[in-house]
Amino acid sequence: MAQKIQAGFPSAFGETRRRKTWRKYAMPEEKKERRGGFFQAVKEFVYGVAAHDSARFALKTRASMEHLFILITMGDMLGVPILPPYYSLRLLPYVVPQISTWKRRMLREKDLTDALA
Amino acid sequence: MNSVVVLVLGLAVAYFGYRLYAQRIDRKVIQSDPNKATPAKMYMDGVEFMPTSRNVLFGYQFKSIAGAGPILGPIIALQWGWLPALVWILLGTLFIGWVQDYASAMVAMRKDGASMGGLSHRLISPRARIILLAFIYFYLLLIAGAFGNVVVSTAIGLKGSPMAWLFLTGAGLLAGQMIYRWRKDIILTTVVTVILALIGIWVGTVAPSNKIIGAALAEERWLWAIAAFVFCYFAAVLPIWRFALPINYVASYVVFLGLFFGLIGVVILHPSFTLPAYSAFTIKIGPIWPIMFVTVACGAISGWHSLVSSSGTARQLENERDALPVGGGVMFVEMMLALFALIIAGTLFAAPSQYAEAIAKGPGGVFAAGVSKFLGALGLPAEVGRSYGSVMMIFLAITIMQLVIRFMRIATSELLSDVSPVFRNAHVGTFIASLLGIFLVMTGWWQYLWILFGGANQLMASMALMIVTAWLMSEGRPASWSLWPTLFMFVTTVAALLYTSYSLLDKVFKGAVKGEAAAGNTVIGVIGFFLVLASFVLAYEGLKAFGRYRTMKMEPAAAKA
Repeated sequence: MAQKIQAGFPSAFGETRRRKTWRKYAMPEEKKERRGGFFQAVKEFVYGVAAHDSARFALKTRASMEHLFILITMGDMLGVPILPPYYSLRLLPYVVPQISTWKRRMLREKDLTDALA
Repeated sequence: MNSVVVLVLGLAVAYFGYRLYAQRIDRKVIQSDPNKATPAKMYMDGVEFMPTSRNVLFGYQFKSIAGAGPILGPIIALQWGWLPALVWILLGTLFIGWVQDYASAMVAMRKDGASMGGLSHRLISPRARIILLAFIYFYLLLIAGAFGNVVVSTAIGLKGSPMAWLFLTGAGLLAGQMIYRWRKDIILTTVVTVILALIGIWVGTVAPSNKIIGAALAEERWLWAIAAFVFCYFAAVLPIWRFALPINYVASYVVFLGLFFGLIGVVILHPSFTLPAYSAFTIKIGPIWPIMFVTVACGAISGWHSLVSSSGTARQLENERDALPVGGGVMFVEMMLALFALIIAGTLFAAPSQYAEAIAKGPGGVFAAGVSKFLGALGLPAEVGRSYGSVMMIFLAITIMQLVIRFMRIATSELLSDVSPVFRNAHVGTFIASLLGIFLVMTGWWQYLWILFGGANQLMASMALMIVTAWLMSEGRPASWSLWPTLFMFVTTVAALLYTSYSLLDKVFKGAVKGEAAAGNTVIGVIGFFLVLASFVLAYEGLKAFGRYRTMKMEPAAAKA
């Protein structure tokens, strides 16, 4: 936070002036952040206890569907040619944003303990 | 001793252990670096590898590790007196528990987010991975058996709990429908379903199971065993958003509200321990060492945590410095949970004979009675409090059980699909896992099942610590802080498993048990011996790896000379 604010001031102010100005503007914000920080932390903790697992599993379910779809349409990229290249090329623009993460997930080493968490 | 003194002692151990020991290891030995890219950032895929706030991960880790283990373990261990259990909970967490949880996350993070199987393959040997996975399968089967037994004994002992369980299941199903199908607001969904679940707890008090299905049927173990495993069956085969997740979601509010207000109740009542500090060195289930150490289970150290830390948490940490508060910090919180359970049972009964009578029926009833007492301090009627405690117990156990059965289904498919394609079918794998679980519940005596579960759980922890030690040696870092816990846990758990398995099989060979009990004793005893055998092979592989790393360390030194 301090670095970001300091970086925003012109260097001509000099070190002393910069520190004073930083205090003047940064302190109220910092106090505010600290006050909100506790409630934010509690909120995040409750989310972690109650819903984070659900969100992860929902993402995993969606990802497994996507895996299948991309494998069928873009299998060439992993050496599994299933669909004629013409259709792959037509679909390619829609799949491009996910290709890098898809490849990473497909080629990552996995074992049974992955299913536990 | 007053219960508040125990809580203050626990807080002091947590504070000083974290500040003086854990932080020192983190900064000086592991040298966690806040500027180092974690696997969550390097391999972010938006699913498993995703940078997540440490507060969220703190809650996630706590929810994943705080099951029935840290609560029931101390309640059962009170049979040796409260002092040995208290000392082991405090010292076990301080020197071993947090070390395993934190270091498992750290090793996985430094090894590109690899799981325990992958880590054993890389750091120990390829054979170690196969044996570890077989070990984990039987370890999970023992969890299903031990926790299944808790569910069954609670449903029989507290007749209000089945109705509350049914309501909670309904509330969970409704939550899934509201969130994922009807797209309702999450706050509205939470309020409606949690209130429904709380109404179920009250309905349980006016409509107990013996009034609905008859006194004889309500006492049948097989009925509740089948109910528990049918529940797990649905959790394993239905889409996870439809059954398992929303039920866990609603249950988490019920359980944590109970724990939170229960803790306030302890502070308000601040009772003193009424049970003796020490009863005897040897009791019916075995001597204080090694049996009490494994009976306390997750309250001091648990192998389950290493699986969560490596496969789950390590892939989401956005900063290396977060590994200590999330991995180590949560273990200290779990220690406080174990102390809470110890206080509940240790201050509840006027005389040791009352405790002995209650524990003979199962630890779930003791926990429910304790929750009832401490929630009573806040004005909740005793009967509703008991129903609340019983449903907390059932859900702490069954949420882990459903995960275990789901995992065993996947394991069956992975391990046996080459033998026959029929094992790929989700129903076949789930059916096999459920049948094995029901068999253990119906034939095994719960105290022996609990000891074997605790032994397997802590043996898993010693395997995780061995992997951590191998990693430390491979990196040339000081390893004694993890090596000594590894050795202590290995010797203790192997001794406990051998003692219990021998006792079980001895009864079978001498004809002391017949019929179902003989079959149960034989199967549980054989599983115990198999786990010991597997751990010996793993230890042998581990020793070879240690030797390899020591040679590697000496070679550069010799080259320099």
